[in-house]
Amino acid sequence: MKMYSKVFLEKEELKVLKGLNFNFCIQCGKCTASCPMFLRTKLNPRTLVRKTLYLVSQLKTHPPLSISDIDGVWDCTTCNTCTIQCPRDVKPMDIIISFREIFIERGNIPPTISKALENIYKFSNPFGLSSTKRAEWARDLNIKKPSKESKTDLLYFAGCITSYDNRAQNIARSLAMLLKNLEIDFSILAENENCCGSEVYSLGERGLFEVIMGKNIECFQQYKIDKIVTTCPHCFNTFKNRYKLNNMEILHSTQLLSDLIDKGKINFSRRMEKKIAFHDPCYLGKHNNIFEEPRKILENIPGVTLLELEHSRKNSLCCGGGGGRTWYETTGEISRPSEDRIKEAIDVGAEILAVACPFCLLELEDAVKRMEYENRLQVLDIVEIIFRSLLSEL
Amino acid sequence: MSYELGVKSLDIIVCVKSVPITTEAELIPDKTRKSVILDNIPFDINEWDEYALEEAIRLKERFGGNVTVISVSSRDIDEVILKCLAKGADRAIKVVDRSIMEYDAYIIARILHSIIKNMKYDLILCGAQASDDGYALVGVMLASLLRIPYVTMVKRLELINGSLRTIRELEEGLEEIVEVELPALLTIQTGINEPRYASIMAMRRARQKEIVAFDLKSINLAEGDFDGWIRIQEFFTPEKKKECIMLQGDMDEITTKVVEILRQRGILK
Repeated sequence: MKMYSKVFLEKEELKVLKGLNFNFCIQCGKCTASCPMFLRTKLNPRTLVRKTLYLVSQLKTHPPLSISDIDGVWDCTTCNTCTIQCPRDVKPMDIIISFREIFIERGNIPPTISKALENIYKFSNPFGLSSTKRAEWARDLNIKKPSKESKTDLLYFAGCITSYDNRAQNIARSLAMLLKNLEIDFSILAENENCCGSEVYSLGERGLFEVIMGKNIECFQQYKIDKIVTTCPHCFNTFKNRYKLNNMEILHSTQLLSDLIDKGKINFSRRMEKKIAFHDPCYLGKHNNIFEEPRKILENIPGVTLLELEHSRKNSLCCGGGGGRTWYETTGEISRPSEDRIKEAIDVGAEILAVACPFCLLELEDAVKRMEYENRLQVLDIVEIIFRSLLSEL
Repeated sequence: MSYELGVKSLDIIVCVKSVPITTEAELIPDKTRKSVILDNIPFDINEWDEYALEEAIRLKERFGGNVTVISVSSRDIDEVILKCLAKGADRAIKVVDRSIMEYDAYIIARILHSIIKNMKYDLILCGAQASDDGYALVGVMLASLLRIPYVTMVKRLELINGSLRTIRELEEGLEEIVEVELPALLTIQTGINEPRYASIMAMRRARQKEIVAFDLKSINLAEGDFDGWIRIQEFFTPEKKKECIMLQGDMDEITTKVVEILRQRGILK
């Protein structure tokens, strides 16, 4: 990719990096050591923090550092591991997002990412598909849409991947059928649902993120929505932590289902003799500290043996699909992080690798196919597992 | 000797069109059958024009000068214009009128000519064609009206001492080199560069730039200039002759269905 003019940071660009504690860094390297993309790509959080300090301060290097020395920023999956690992409260992930913002404002971004962002702006989804096709997954399920006249009890927000991807649609269908079976009143926005903006935020397109957030908040207010459940942790995290939503309850499906188990509304009467390992999605675990609910759900299914992967909870390995990585072809990548994760699942003898995120589902299922483990390991969302244990044939 | 020598600055005009993005849309002819229903279909800058604009901005960044974007459109063009300004164009001229929908390439070229003939320019860049009608006519007609040389389907260009060396795309990987003196008009092929991204913030800032709106009525075209050369007779969906059926289900179900179809058609007995 070519650079357009400006070699150094402009005054306005320096403002973007303001308030990020890069000067606290002691160069211990915990961020780099824990980064799932380090060694696979050019991304090295430790040196990036160091370079930021030199770019921003009056300190000089020889030869002088320029913006073109900031590389690997598009390789970040925004898994948040670097920030969790940092003993000095530096937030390398936020620094990376800020550099993405600078590149976005310069117009200098990989073409596939540019296409995804333009699609989100034009079509409200990264694939450039028509919004009329957004609720095709629900076509035969007869799910009601919220009304402007009355209050909506619970809104199921499916999100882009779950709405449009053929495989991920099964998560939405499973949750919808479960809720119907449990006689829980809920609605979907269908063709009025927009992208939540999670990947837009991670890619540093702040202006577009604000537009999307404004549109969604207006839509939620219009339909008097005060409780949302999502199956996608990216949507969940965005609504919960990025939007300024007052008096609105945001739940991930694992929280809702775990609560229903606590209240005795879900009774697992059939056995499911399976060894299941749970993969912690970054946006559920590392970003939101939700580690117990998914495990509790699986432990409640009679017959299930819950296994822990070598890396789990806060030390979990990223699937590699977040932060806009889905739309970015990395050069010089040795292996994919998802393949390391599958090896861990095979090593502990899991028959099912449970996930709670459509990004993880697609990344890990692809890895299973590439590694030809289809006969040994199945990747399923927790919602699909509950659906199977309660409503369908085992 | 650097090929950049001899060029001080360039004033470049880029003609852009707003087109419907129809990749995912189902196109249906309207009642008159002279047009198609475009409600709820998003519009964006014509892909070829986006490459032409990028080339213009890169030339400006290298040699200095100005980039002016001109659009003649039947519908609101502001978003496309802001995108062009956000990417680096300096000013924009727009002619927006509902009746333009019925105009063919000749009338569009006439309107553009009436504006551009009074302007100072070194280079005019147009997209090689538009993704909606695909005529590839406006650029060459405009050059003929302005009596300046033109090169079509340009996939690479270099400036050498005030003249322009262009590389045209021919078939089977063959390229043609054409040199033209400035001022000239080029129609640009996709892939000549990698267009930059226009962020929402940049589009907001672009509102500060100069946008001149021309009223179609104020453009004095000669009698007969509003008579087009092409008249659309009818839009229709071609008759379905072959059909592709996607079979759903697991391997057993699909196999059963295939056998059934082959039996029905007498291929299997």
